[in-house]
Amino acid sequence: MSEFIRVAKVSDVANTGKIILEVEDRMVVLLHINDQFFCIDDICTHDGGPLGEGELCGFELACPRHGAKFDVRNGAALTMPATEATVVHEVKIEGDNVFVRISED
Amino acid sequence: MSGESETRFSHQWLIPTPALDHAHYFLLPRFNCSMMETTTSLSFTEDGFEAFASVRDEPRWLSDLRVSAWKKYTELSWPARTDEEWIRTDIRQFKLDRYSLSPEPPKPETNATALLREGVELGGDCTSLDSQKTHSFISDKWADKGVVFGSFDEIVRSHGDLIRPYLLRRAVNPSYDKFAALHATFMTGGAILYVPRGVVVDEPFYALSALTDGGADFGHTLVILEDGAEATMLSETASEDAAGGGLHCGAIELIVNPRAHLRYVNLQNWGNNVWHFAHQKALVDRDASLQWTIAAMGAKLAKVNQHVGLIGEGANCQVNGVMFTEDKQHLSYHTLQHHEAPSCRSDFLYKAGLQDKSRTVWRGMIKVDRVAQRTDGYQRNDNLLLSTNARADSIPGLEIEADDVRCTHGSTSGRVDDELIFYARCRGYTRKEAIQMIVTGFFQKVFDRITIESVRDALGLAIARRVREYE
Repeated sequence: MSEFIRVAKVSDVANTGKIILEVEDRMVVLLHINDQFFCIDDICTHDGGPLGEGELCGFELACPRHGAKFDVRNGAALTMPATEATVVHEVKIEGDNVFVRISED
Repeated sequence: MSGESETRFSHQWLIPTPALDHAHYFLLPRFNCSMMETTTSLSFTEDGFEAFASVRDEPRWLSDLRVSAWKKYTELSWPARTDEEWIRTDIRQFKLDRYSLSPEPPKPETNATALLREGVELGGDCTSLDSQKTHSFISDKWADKGVVFGSFDEIVRSHGDLIRPYLLRRAVNPSYDKFAALHATFMTGGAILYVPRGVVVDEPFYALSALTDGGADFGHTLVILEDGAEATMLSETASEDAAGGGLHCGAIELIVNPRAHLRYVNLQNWGNNVWHFAHQKALVDRDASLQWTIAAMGAKLAKVNQHVGLIGEGANCQVNGVMFTEDKQHLSYHTLQHHEAPSCRSDFLYKAGLQDKSRTVWRGMIKVDRVAQRTDGYQRNDNLLLSTNARADSIPGLEIEADDVRCTHGSTSGRVDDELIFYARCRGYTRKEAIQMIVTGFFQKVFDRITIESVRDALGLAIARRVREYE
């Protein structure tokens, strides 16, 4: 299993907000929503679109390319044209630091 | 164990979020453990270009070409994710500043495995390592007939006037995009073949471009066949380390003059962490023919533009594509069959086998100009998905302005039929043997089109070795 890697400070991501990071050879979106952190792949499973550039509404992130929505808590595809979940990565907070463990998927 | 560890990410983008009242931008520290710049390395920067240009021993026209290309490079932007050619190919993790050309002489030879050379009697051969020639040879039998063959750098020096009308003037456009301009600035290594009018060469020429781990290859291949000439050239790339990284930013130009016949094979077999960007273009003139076989099995990410222009009446080209991918490889091919003259024939068949989480993208276009009546154009892409997470994007296209043409295109994508595997296993084959047979059968149709037996055998073996077992 891969290790947790410190990727940002809590104060680096606005509450509510998101940033796109490269972690261990992977592009991910780190989201800060209502004092909670989530991390998912920066890829829309429909057509590889830039999910992280999309609009965030509550826990739903919409891909700007064709509008597919994903739940950032579990990566689930909520609307067409996406039918497959995007990958979720584990996040933990220690003090002011945000750690991400990249999923094996 | 507590999770504190060194920050290992190497770059970040920060995006303003519409949900905020104000935009929030910042840049976090950048940590790059692989950056090993020395004062003597030739990086792809203004200083690097000046250092590179200062040590070149080549004709003035070529130096001027490089200066012009560098200027273009600085003016162009990197591709946007919304650009049609890049919409399915994400290069945000590509870091140009991790690579450079080496000013030091290369090792005398490379231990990279060459697949196409085995058991073949060659008319000439040329090897480079990290863009520098290590070996070059042409048989007197062909040199005496006026055939010119050798490394790019030596031939532009010895036969500059012969090469000048062709180099980046008619086929590949050095301003096509930022990668083309970068290549035109720093091109070095690669091979040049020139066959005079009427000369029929019945022994293939061979070129190998090799990379050390983390090296850079900016090889330029230029093949010119004068009227009525015939030749075969085999070209391959390989890394000394199968898992090795590096950068290839290259170009291939094939000029097939009237009534000439060229068979050209290029096998991309880099290590699985190499970034591969290439512009490849052929021009086939009146009553000439080109058989172009492309095979791609290596690289972390490959983005290739492969264009054929049929520029004289009766020109004929056959393109065979063989791709076999694994792990998280991403191979993206953008092909064009451009019918610019009447009564030309083009026949493209690309086949890809995909394993693991790999991905192929094929965007093919047949373009027929208004004057290109009686065009016969065909393109087909077949994809065999050997795992549930592999993905093939296959997008054929036609743009036809003439009204007396035949243009056909097709695309198939599918998984291995479980019944076929069961049938084979009932007859004593293991699951892996069954899949290997099915994969070989899948590629057979394109192998049958390759008229060079040694190439068929080498590709077939290379693919069979890479097949894995899946449940």
